[in-house]
Amino acid sequence: MSQVDSGRAGSGRRAPARVAKRGTGQNQTGAGWLFVSPMLIILGIFLAIPIVMALWVSFTDWNGRGNPFGSRVNFVGAENYTSLLTEQGLSRQDFMLSMRNTFYYVLGVVPVQTALALLLAVIVNQKFLKGRTFFRTAFYFPSVVSSVAISLVFVYLFTGTGAINTILSKVGVIGPNWLDDPRGVIHIIGEKVGLWSIDAPPSALASTEVMNLSLWEWFKGPSVALSTIMIQVIWTTAGTFMLMFLAALQDLPAEVEEAAMVDGANRRQRFMNVTVPHLRPTIFLVLTLGIIGTWQVFDQMYVMTQGGPAKTTLTPAYLSYAAAFRQQQWGEGAAIAFILFALIFLLTSIQRYLLRDKDEVAKKKATKAQAKAAKAKGALA
Amino acid sequence: MSTVTVNDGNIVNRAGRGKKIAVYGALILFSLMYVFPFFIQIATSFKTDADATTNPLNLIPQPVTMAALKRLADTDYPLWFQNSVTVTILVTIGRVFFCSLAGYALARLKFRGRDGVFTALLAVMAVPGIVLLIPKFLVLNYIGLYDTYPALFVPLLVDAAGVFIMKQFFETISPSMEEAARIDGAGTFRTFWSIVLPMARPALITLTILSFQGSWNELGHFVIAVSDPNLYTLTRGVGQLTSGGLGSGNQFPISMASALIMTIPTALIFIIFQRYFTQGANAGADKG
Amino acid sequence: MSRQVRTLAICLAGGIALSACGGGGFKDDNASPSAPASASGPVALQMLIASSGDAETAAVKAATDAWAKKTGNTVTVTVASDMNQQLAQGFASGKPADVFYMDAGRFADYAKQGSLYAYADQLKDNGDFYESLRKTFTYEGKQYCAPKDFSALALIINTDAWSKAGLGDGDIPKTWDDLATVAKKLTTDKQAGLVLGTGIDRAGAFVVQNGGWWLSEDGTSATAAQPGVSEAMAYVQKNNKEGIFKFNNQVSAGWGGEAFGKGLGAMTIEGNWIKGAMKNDFPNVKYVVAELPEGPKGKGTLMFTQCWGIAADSKAQAQAVDLVSSLTSVDQQIAFADAFGVMPSRQAAADGYKTKFPQDAAFIAGGAYGHGPINVPGMEQVISDLNSKLENFAGANLADVLKGFDTNAGSALGK
Repeated sequence: MSQVDSGRAGSGRRAPARVAKRGTGQNQTGAGWLFVSPMLIILGIFLAIPIVMALWVSFTDWNGRGNPFGSRVNFVGAENYTSLLTEQGLSRQDFMLSMRNTFYYVLGVVPVQTALALLLAVIVNQKFLKGRTFFRTAFYFPSVVSSVAISLVFVYLFTGTGAINTILSKVGVIGPNWLDDPRGVIHIIGEKVGLWSIDAPPSALASTEVMNLSLWEWFKGPSVALSTIMIQVIWTTAGTFMLMFLAALQDLPAEVEEAAMVDGANRRQRFMNVTVPHLRPTIFLVLTLGIIGTWQVFDQMYVMTQGGPAKTTLTPAYLSYAAAFRQQQWGEGAAIAFILFALIFLLTSIQRYLLRDKDEVAKKKATKAQAKAAKAKGALA
Repeated sequence: MSTVTVNDGNIVNRAGRGKKIAVYGALILFSLMYVFPFFIQIATSFKTDADATTNPLNLIPQPVTMAALKRLADTDYPLWFQNSVTVTILVTIGRVFFCSLAGYALARLKFRGRDGVFTALLAVMAVPGIVLLIPKFLVLNYIGLYDTYPALFVPLLVDAAGVFIMKQFFETISPSMEEAARIDGAGTFRTFWSIVLPMARPALITLTILSFQGSWNELGHFVIAVSDPNLYTLTRGVGQLTSGGLGSGNQFPISMASALIMTIPTALIFIIFQRYFTQGANAGADKG
Repeated sequence: MSRQVRTLAICLAGGIALSACGGGGFKDDNASPSAPASASGPVALQMLIASSGDAETAAVKAATDAWAKKTGNTVTVTVASDMNQQLAQGFASGKPADVFYMDAGRFADYAKQGSLYAYADQLKDNGDFYESLRKTFTYEGKQYCAPKDFSALALIINTDAWSKAGLGDGDIPKTWDDLATVAKKLTTDKQAGLVLGTGIDRAGAFVVQNGGWWLSEDGTSATAAQPGVSEAMAYVQKNNKEGIFKFNNQVSAGWGGEAFGKGLGAMTIEGNWIKGAMKNDFPNVKYVVAELPEGPKGKGTLMFTQCWGIAADSKAQAQAVDLVSSLTSVDQQIAFADAFGVMPSRQAAADGYKTKFPQDAAFIAGGAYGHGPINVPGMEQVISDLNSKLENFAGANLADVLKGFDTNAGSALGK
């Protein structure tokens, strides 16, 4: 029986397309649409249609009263967008603040979490290590825990008289009032090295305004409060990325490394010339996911700071939420969301483009390394 | 030739010892960093307010008190917990079923428009979740679901990434069994249900875990979908509990306890399905 | 539910043709009817309150239960954890609570967008509410709602710290100079002379004492850059720089009362709500309440108030109004004062309150010369921006900050 079947399947392999089209094909069209219909309904109603609705709202002055698609709501054209991007005023100031904050946030979180994840992966990947599973679990566990729960723990750890400052005071450092401290990190460093005083900024920086913010404000760096959130996010997400690196490390063909070893390359050279090129696609993947994730940061702001202190933890995602759901400026909130959408889309497109390129480069490098290794082997023999 | 080997071996050995010390040193440091916050959290849950404020580093509460837990029991916490459990179960069942259904169709069934559907799916996956807060509120309100129980879970029943993961998986398993079943006269759904799904167990478990994690930890959607406190889930309730819901003062034991209890189910699932979590993280990665 | 499913299906079939689905959950704006919406039979009212604690929640529940029992209706009291968001979301969804606390600072925005039902003229003795409070809840010439209660800022003094610094009863500060002098004497390594909450809701009291205000009296132009405001802020900043006035965020406290209770400040400026916090959190700290010192232009303080808002979308407005009039009766106001320390908004209740709480004289006195909050639509963001810039008070460039406020307020008022 089974033989007959497999025989049929085997012989049918060359001409199954026609069979499918005529016979089961029609069946499959019905079944196919039926199978995907729950997905289409849910994603259509709760994703596709709402995006169009929100796009409409972003061109109106709907204030949360009545029907946003009714006749009493005014179409205001691109006004919500221009007030965020081109007009002097509070809306643009807040939006630019949120962009500045998130820019520093991304700049700080993405490289550090990638490096930490790689480091953790390399450590946990050591073959001689005992209890690797335990360590892998410990590092990964925070990534699966709710960000709300983690935020509460960090609020407590970083409170003025909390655990972190207690530890710091034991080594003679007076810790800041972490989540309540609006001072910018670059400002603080500048003051420490004697470049300027925070309370009396250089007038060249303070009096030049670009997009509603003075240069002094633009170059503030992340505030201490935002840095605290950055520490938390790095700590939380490094575990996920560690797993990706681990998977990639375990894919690393042992021969390549051995060959390089025989080649006389030291550990550092081996890591830089063999391991890193092999990991390049993963590194880019991690960077992409990191950038997409960090630009969307919302939960921590909602739970921990509500954008404060002094608006230094305001992010576009939180600003969009607050504008719509708290201040009833739905058009502006929706406009912020769409600008954020466009920005993330742009960033990921750039990344994808680079990724594709680098992928090939990495492949080439890997082949080169392999060839080199083979050559070395040949030479030795 | 032989000298090379000896030298090489020596280097490896000497470096090996230093390396081991370095690796273990780093491990201990990082483990402390990763485990300590959870220990503090557990200890603080059983502390008094004053003890939590004055001895934030102590891992042994003095005295041990259940006051925080009792206070939590008096709030709506049990209700939020119950809502979270219900929503998570419904979402997980929905996602596992609908995502594998759609993933199977996209991987195996030949139907007109399949490529279009798949392209649309990819487009949907590119939409960052956070920009959907306002749109989702609008549509929930529009169809009259806002502030109802279904609003909590219906929009989460299908997850584009889940469909993608299942599609990828179905493409890796051999079609011979299905073909056999089909020739035996089994309908498409029966083939799917009794032949394909059982083979997809690892992917299904991965998807289950991802769905559990996604819905248990979700915050944004629950914030905008309802306003009735009876419909709060843990993330929403706890997120606001400490920022004013309890009145003034430092109530760290309560906030630690509330975070602790909502972490326990995650921890249990994590421990039981650890292996699959690893796969889940990487399955999620593939979508990038 | 089945209707919802059908609507859902139709919407899907119709694709993105929005008009096909009608308004759905959104209510079309209809001109507000002159007669209150009155549901027949027993109604179930929803009430949303922003509670200061268990005492307030219990007192409000007891009061609404009594009304419900008398009238045969039911009232569900919900404590908001995030009043702003819950109200806004309620209005936007067309399903707001029937009755809710409405803060004076947000009132004008909601009145302007038509979310509030104006019922004050239906109250029997509306004229008995303090004139200034009624004005606070008036938008475009129409008083919308009944003031719930009010509170005013006063100077809270830690008596132990006071006597330790060698100060006596006669040293209670009467002028700005006095205040700086005693603050200096009270300042130690661990304790600031005066701890203030951040933002203009505390420092603004000095503005009133200096005869200034953020907006012109008619609320049409911004006046923060004028001397009345800028001098007062400069006074606070000068003392802040000297370290004898500190803000709560400088001493890691959530608000002035917490800093005061923890002994991080010997004096603070807070309202009557501090009584409950002191009783619950810091029962061992002894303190007295004094009127704020006079500024160059005389006495001044800030008043805060809320009203009982009724939603324009409520289906049982008549019943809601009846509930509110029972909650604002003299007896009920005294009962609330008893339970959680607010001051009655009715003049008829003032005497009863004074005899019952003689130690609150300084708070009550503020009612005579206090200034209410800014209640012009569109100002909320402008004010919160000002407050965020004043968080680092010592370092703020006041001239720029106040000028910035005028610019932002100017464009908000112009809208």
